[in-house]
Amino acid sequence: MTEAVAITGWGPVGPEGCGKGALAKHWAEGGPRPVEVDRGGGYHRRRGARLAARVDPTSLGEWLSSREGRRMSPPSRFAVAAARLALDDAGLGDDPGPDTAVITATSYGPSTFTESLLRQIFHEAPTAASPALFTESVANASAAQVALRLGARGPNVTITQRQAGPLLALAKGAREVASGRASRALVVAVDEAEPLLHAILDRFGALAGSRGGEEVARPFDLRRRGFLVSEGATACVLEPASAALERGGRVVGTIRAGLSAFDPSSPPAGWGLDPEHLAAGLAAGLARHGLGPADLSGWVSGACGSVAGDRLEAACGRLLWGADGVPSPVVPKAYGGEHGGALLSGALLALEGWDLAPTPGFAEADPELGPVPFAGGAVPTAGRWLVSSMAVGGAAAWAVLDRRDPGAGA
Amino acid sequence: MPTLSADPRWPDATVAVTGLGAVTAWGWGVNAFLRGLDTGRTTIGPPRTFDVTGHRTGVASEVGEPPPDGPWRDLAGWGEGSRCDRFALAAAVEAWSGAGLRPGDAARAGLYFGGSTAAMAEGEAFFQDLGAGGHPRVAPLASHPLDGPANAVARALRLGGPVVALSSACASGGLAVAEAVDALRAGDVEVALAGGADALCQLTYAGFNALRAVDEKPCRPFRADRGGMSLGEGAGMLVLETVAHARARGARIRAVVLGRGASCDAHHMTAPHPEGEGAARAVSAALGDAGLDPGRGGFVNAHGTGTPHNDRAEARALASVFGDGRGSLPVTSTKGVVGHLLGGSGAIEAVATALCLERGRVHGVPGDPADGADPEAPVDLVLGGSRVVERTVAVSTSLAFGGSNVALVLAGPEPRAEGGSGS
Repeated sequence: MTEAVAITGWGPVGPEGCGKGALAKHWAEGGPRPVEVDRGGGYHRRRGARLAARVDPTSLGEWLSSREGRRMSPPSRFAVAAARLALDDAGLGDDPGPDTAVITATSYGPSTFTESLLRQIFHEAPTAASPALFTESVANASAAQVALRLGARGPNVTITQRQAGPLLALAKGAREVASGRASRALVVAVDEAEPLLHAILDRFGALAGSRGGEEVARPFDLRRRGFLVSEGATACVLEPASAALERGGRVVGTIRAGLSAFDPSSPPAGWGLDPEHLAAGLAAGLARHGLGPADLSGWVSGACGSVAGDRLEAACGRLLWGADGVPSPVVPKAYGGEHGGALLSGALLALEGWDLAPTPGFAEADPELGPVPFAGGAVPTAGRWLVSSMAVGGAAAWAVLDRRDPGAGA
Repeated sequence: MPTLSADPRWPDATVAVTGLGAVTAWGWGVNAFLRGLDTGRTTIGPPRTFDVTGHRTGVASEVGEPPPDGPWRDLAGWGEGSRCDRFALAAAVEAWSGAGLRPGDAARAGLYFGGSTAAMAEGEAFFQDLGAGGHPRVAPLASHPLDGPANAVARALRLGGPVVALSSACASGGLAVAEAVDALRAGDVEVALAGGADALCQLTYAGFNALRAVDEKPCRPFRADRGGMSLGEGAGMLVLETVAHARARGARIRAVVLGRGASCDAHHMTAPHPEGEGAARAVSAALGDAGLDPGRGGFVNAHGTGTPHNDRAEARALASVFGDGRGSLPVTSTKGVVGHLLGGSGAIEAVATALCLERGRVHGVPGDPADGADPEAPVDLVLGGSRVVERTVAVSTSLAFGGSNVALVLAGPEPRAEGGSGS
């Protein structure tokens, strides 16, 4: 990247509430607090997963009034509120500037509105379809709402590469800023966990409770059985580091590199079996940016408690750093559940050096995997973090984030 | 700066198009698509994929069954793939093999893929069965997420580099091509496969009807009597690489992508800015990226949906960018021939644009040439048959729901005698 691109503010919306203060407090106190999913639609199996970590719709408070959000899908509401929180954190008020790019990542788009639309079409009649629901059922609705509410007229792009999406979006936002096509970028990772989607993930056997028993995600643990689905949004503001400092902005960190690769051995609904290929792609990408494994002192891992997904994450880590050199990973999805915003939030909390509880759900290391996740306390003050995320279906993405220079910025 | 007549000796770093693939209602393959474009007729009519009697309108552009001897039949993922997966796979394999590549070729090959429905049709069948108290198999939903078709293509062609699915409604396919151009320029990949696909489904059919955006008759872009869009389905794929890379491996250069630009209206969730302000910024940015001034010559493959609002706004956008020159700037719309492929529209229109540039002839919008364009949307509409243009530069626009706009600037292939790139 020709110009150092800085993250100058960020804001999360999640089951823990709005804002990084609420998020950090919740994550310092322990794991997610899932609730029973509404099973009234009849989509669920009798025995199967029952829990998800969901956003309290009333928690958006000052960041999105009920009047303004009344026609928005849940992801649009989360995204707009998170974008406002991020701008506020960046000291930009409600005005990112007219040529701001908006880059969102979402795995499944607005599921609640899609499900409602399907019910109208198939349980009533095709002519019963609501134009308002349709408008907000498209995957890019949240990106459009962010742009519309904030007057962001730069490139507007939605990436839907499941778990790899948030880091691909971060890289895309950085590229828009570095190229000068946008003076700023708002990058938003947003997902929702509505009952039909929950039921389908359960039928695929992906959730911690899909095979009965306890519903606890246990990333990197010997007893891991699946993930805990969650929802929310995390937004961050990107701008040239020089411009941020010039306006007196705060630099949380800079984006050193964005990398990605694909594992063709992956099945459509699972993780792949070829960590060697992914690790080689990562190493080659790092080399193109003048980096090597020794330059990466911290690891934020997208592990979620999946048997195969965590195995792939761990193997890539071992192949990159060597079995004895793998940093103890910070595992955001252990605290925030499986949604894209949790990954970004974890990376940003790590950059800012917040305290975290011992990795929730982790009790016993899996000798096959190797990495033992973060043991709790203040996150190590690594200078350069690797953030990784392996997606169902084969994609993988990484970001290299440099911690803020202590002497720079306000 | 030069005008819209470009030097045909493209520099090494220019992004070349070396493979094309298409699946449309005209058939499975680029040749079928090209023959269809030449007929001057539309493929839009009553669909058979689902019963439209309960819907407000009853036309669409529908892809028929694949020929039994297609080269994609043995591909991994073909059998269990969704209808959209198959469109994407067939177009991707055609583009990839047409570029002289085999599965697994190119160590750093990336895929940039736009779409908006993926396996929604299969999801609808699952939903209906579940609602009726059945026990539907969940396996057909494996490719239901919006990255499903992209992943299917990447698996089949053993692509090991970045795979990026984009879903920005009707701009998705154009944005995917733009992403691929960025990746090649940055050196992230050595070869990129870019494009998009979508399949007809009841959700989009009912949804666009609910918005009253669909014409009861086949769409008539830029015509005075236009009444809306017509939905279509299919896929378009392009193989992109730098001119230097193409020359080094002896690949035939079929067109080049000179520039890309993107913007957002930030005006309304469904309606375009009435003056086409955002669209004009995307076109201007693409021309600027290409190092071109808007001048005389070339042509525009417009988004041209056939809705009253879009075509009027787009005509104003073109007028604001090209000024007086627009009177001699031919404008066409591929949607008049094969309908609106939604997330795949920008991709199939990029394929159509490359084909038009390659042979120096712009395809027309179906209709009587005597009718002309709507005076409220005044463009030099290529109506009826095709029109000869010099091998020059073209702009392809995609303007989406939610205000996302993208424009691509393409140019014709370098003359083989001068470029020495012959295959």
